[in-house]
Amino acid sequence: MEKAQVNDSELISLYIRGNEKAFAKLVQRHKSKLYTTIYLIVKDQYVAEDLMQDTFIKAVDTIKSGKYNEEGKFLPWIIRIAHNLAIDYFRKDKRYPSVVFEDGSSVFNTLEFAEDSVESLQIRQETHEHLRELIQRLPEQQRQVLIMRHYEEMSFQEIADATGVSINTALGRMRYALINLRKQLSKRAPSYDKNIYPR
Amino acid sequence: MTKTFTQDDVVRYVYEETSPEENLLIEDAMMSEPELMTFFLEALELRALMNKIERQPRISTVQTILNYSKHHPANPPARLRQS
Repeated sequence: MEKAQVNDSELISLYIRGNEKAFAKLVQRHKSKLYTTIYLIVKDQYVAEDLMQDTFIKAVDTIKSGKYNEEGKFLPWIIRIAHNLAIDYFRKDKRYPSVVFEDGSSVFNTLEFAEDSVESLQIRQETHEHLRELIQRLPEQQRQVLIMRHYEEMSFQEIADATGVSINTALGRMRYALINLRKQLSKRAPSYDKNIYPR
Repeated sequence: MTKTFTQDDVVRYVYEETSPEENLLIEDAMMSEPELMTFFLEALELRALMNKIERQPRISTVQTILNYSKHHPANPPARLRQS
């Protein structure tokens, strides 16, 4: 486990002073969260890759032009850029791609599962793949709140403000999203990944 | 008057948006209400499971981003750049 790592603000400061390695570290640190968030919104891996590039290009342009507000936090800021680009994508194209099928082989952190049998790894991959599909199939309002809270790390109050509803409505949508996911997952056996908690 | 806790309170608890005082009360409520406890455990499990489905972009996508930054027109001349 990485200890005493340089925080995002320090990396940004280094990057502003021209340290490209600091930027590479930021990208490595947040690429997975960012890409997953975009993917869950647009449901298409190729569009998600493009939008992730666009997101970082916007971020680079902002930082390199001296317009980055160093008082804010980097991850919520860049996730907000990604979210807006993903929403723009839908507005422009007015399309909603169906579930994308994929082989899933490069999706998971293989080191983490290195000690698992091939069979348990396969079950886990299938469960994770299934969960991704279930999230994508949630009713739009529930999916939106779930992505904003879980992946974009916005508070329920921030979500309520951003979507123009009360905090109780935002909470209710999240609750229904969780209940729906639980219901759908329980239809499938083995319904749950039994090893998701640390041993 | 005793406050009745709902599944929405549990959602806030799972996502760590409750105060320490609320935490104690919600934990008490869950201990005495099996349905609330079941919902809590399921929500917690889903949260953990959702953390596991993070995807990785292609290496080439990351490299394109790094190259864009490296060759950005706003970069200072190489000799002035800190490493």
